[in-house]
Amino acid sequence: MKTPRLSPQTLRVLERFVERPTAWRYGYELSRETGLKSGTLYPILMRLAKYSLLETKWVTTEDGVPPRHTYRLTPNGVELVRSTFANSRVSARSALKVRRPAFSGGKA
Amino acid sequence: MIPAAAPRSVAIALLRFAIWIAPHDTHDWGHAMLNELNHVEGNWSALIWSLGGAGVLAKHAIVALILPGAHRRTVSSASELFDKEGPMRKPAFAVIASCVAASLLFFLAPVFRQAFRVSLAQWHSVFHVKQSFGYPSPDPELDALAKKAEHNQDAEALAYAAVRYPDAVQRAHLADEAVHLDPNLTWLYAVAGTAYLSPSEIDRRVSLLKQWDPENGLSHLFAAQKIGATATYSKGFPLGKLEQNPSWEKEMDAAFQSPKLDNYLDRQNQLDHRVLSRYRLDDPFQAASGEERYGFPNYGVWECSLYAQSLLESGQTLEAQGDRKSAFEKYSAVARFGQMMSIDSELTFFMSKPLKGAYSRLGALSQTEGNKAAAAFYGALADQVDKTAERERALLRSRFSGSEVSHWNAFLVRLSGLSILFCAALLLLCVLGVIVRNHSLRLRSLHPSRLTLALGFGAAVGSLLSSAVLFVSYWPYSELLQRFLSKGDDSGMSELSAFLRDAQHPIGSRFSLGTWVVSSSMTVFYFWFAITILCALALLIAVFRHFQTRQRAHLPA
Repeated sequence: MKTPRLSPQTLRVLERFVERPTAWRYGYELSRETGLKSGTLYPILMRLAKYSLLETKWVTTEDGVPPRHTYRLTPNGVELVRSTFANSRVSARSALKVRRPAFSGGKA
Repeated sequence: MIPAAAPRSVAIALLRFAIWIAPHDTHDWGHAMLNELNHVEGNWSALIWSLGGAGVLAKHAIVALILPGAHRRTVSSASELFDKEGPMRKPAFAVIASCVAASLLFFLAPVFRQAFRVSLAQWHSVFHVKQSFGYPSPDPELDALAKKAEHNQDAEALAYAAVRYPDAVQRAHLADEAVHLDPNLTWLYAVAGTAYLSPSEIDRRVSLLKQWDPENGLSHLFAAQKIGATATYSKGFPLGKLEQNPSWEKEMDAAFQSPKLDNYLDRQNQLDHRVLSRYRLDDPFQAASGEERYGFPNYGVWECSLYAQSLLESGQTLEAQGDRKSAFEKYSAVARFGQMMSIDSELTFFMSKPLKGAYSRLGALSQTEGNKAAAAFYGALADQVDKTAERERALLRSRFSGSEVSHWNAFLVRLSGLSILFCAALLLLCVLGVIVRNHSLRLRSLHPSRLTLALGFGAAVGSLLSSAVLFVSYWPYSELLQRFLSKGDDSGMSELSAFLRDAQHPIGSRFSLGTWVVSSSMTVFYFWFAITILCALALLIAVFRHFQTRQRAHLPA
C-alpha cells in the first residue's frame, strides 16, 4: 500500500488529529496548533484526503458566516497513524538500545 | 496611510483570483481557505494566510497547465460537485490573455511603437516597401512631408525634404523651390549636392552660392569638381592631369585663398531639428540620416589633395630658384587650407600627406632663415598630422561601423521584432484552429487540444518576453533621439545612426552587390540556434512523456 510521504510537518498534523480521532477540526485551528502556515498545512491536508486518510465536510457554524471546511481522520487514517506512531516509538526505543553501550562509555 | 482593513480586502481578492485560475478539483480547497479567512485574527495575518493559500492554488494551476485533462491526478474532494476533473482551460486562458494584454499594452508607449517600427525596417529592403537608411528608394513619409511643405509654402521643410530625396530631379526641384521661398537657404545647393545635374544647372547653383557667401571656398570646390568631371568625360586632356587645366587651377586657387571653408552642416542640423520638431516627426531613420553626410563634394576633396600636392611641388621649384618668399606662400596656402578642412570636418586624412609636407617644408625654410622657434613649431605640427589623421580615421570607423553595444542592441531589436511577429502569427493560427475545430465563437464552447493550448501559451509568453526585450533594447536610442528633437543635442546621433544602419539589415544577412546575402558568420549562429531549438523541443517532449508514463500512486485499500 502506497502512503503519503510522512514529513515532520505531516506527522505534526497527524499528532493533532490522533489526540481526538473522532473530532472534526478546522484548518485555521490546525494551523495555530501546529504552527504551520496555510501554504504548508493545506497541501498536507489535500494529500491526506487524496489517499483517503482524511475525510472532509462543510459545516455551517453561524448564520451569515460562510460554511467552514472541517477535517477528520478516516478509519484508514487512524490505523495508519497508530501504526506509524507505534513503529516510530519502537524505532526510537531500539535506537536508544543500540546506542546505550556507546553512551555508557564502557570499553568494548 | 493604509486603511486597517485593506490587507484583509487584498487577502480576499487574492484568494478569489487564485480560486478563479485554479483547476476545478481544487476549488473547494480554495473556498475552504477563503472561508477560514473570516476566522483568522488580525488583518495582516489574514493576508499571510491568503498568500500561502494562493501559492498552493497557483501551484496546482501551473501543474494543470503542464498536465491538463486526463493525465493529471484529480485531488479527491468531499463535494461530489468537484469529484470530476474539470477542463484546465481557465488558467491557460488567464495566462494567455494576460500576456497578450500586457504585450498590447506595450504599444501604448510611443517608444515601443517606434521600436517596433525600427524592428520592421529589416523587411523594408526585402519587400522593397520604403526607404531604407542609407540606400535610396522611395519613401512615402518623405513624399507626404514634401507635399505638405509645398502646400504650406514651408521653405525649411522643403529644404529638409530636398537633401533627403533619392531622386536627383525631384531633389533639385525641391531645393530650387526652397531657395525661391527663402534666399537665406541658398546654402542648400551645397548640401543637396550637384550629382546628376547638367553642367549649366551646376554653373547656375555655384554662381548663386558664390554670390550668397563669397568668402566660402566651398562653391569654388563645386566649380572645380564640375570642371574636372566635364574634362574627364570629354577626354579633353588625360585623366590625372587636372592641374594643367587653367580653369580648374583658377577655381582651386580661389578655394585655397578663401578666408573660410564652411560645409553648412551646422545650419543643416539646426534646420533638421526645427523641421522635425515642427512636424513632430519621430522617425529615427529620418532624424539620423543627416549623420551620413559630410558636406563636401566627393571628388572635390580628392582634388584638394591633388592641388595641394601641385602647390608643394611648385613651392619646391621656387625654393630651388631661391624665391623663398613665394615658396613660403605656397606652403602656407596648403597648411592653411588643411587646417580649415580639419575644423569643420573629419577629412584631414585626405590632406594629411600634403599637409605634413607643407609643415615640413615650412619648418625647413624657417631653419634656413635661422628662425629656430618657428622651425620647432612647424616640426611639432608636422608630427601631429599623422596622429590627427589616425584619430579621425578611428572616429570615422566608429561612426560608420558603430560600437559593439549598438551591434548587439540592433541584433536584439531585430530578433525580438521577428519573435513578436512569429508569436502573433502562431497565436492567430491557434485561435483560428480552435474556432474552426469547434465551429463556434463562444468562449465556453471552445475546447482547445493540449497541443493548441501549449502552443498558444508559448506564443503568448514569447510575445510578452519579446516585447519587453524590444522595449529595453531600443530605450537608449529613443533617449538619444529625444535629446536631439527636444534640445537639438546631436552628440548621440552618430551612435543612433550606427544602430539604425545595423537594424535595417535582415537578421543574419549582409548587403552585398545590391542584394542581401546570408553572412557566413551567421551560418554558425543559425546552426546553433537550430540545435538549441531542437534540444528544447526534445526536452519538452521528454518532460511530457515522463509525466504521462510515470507510475501512478495507489490508494490504500
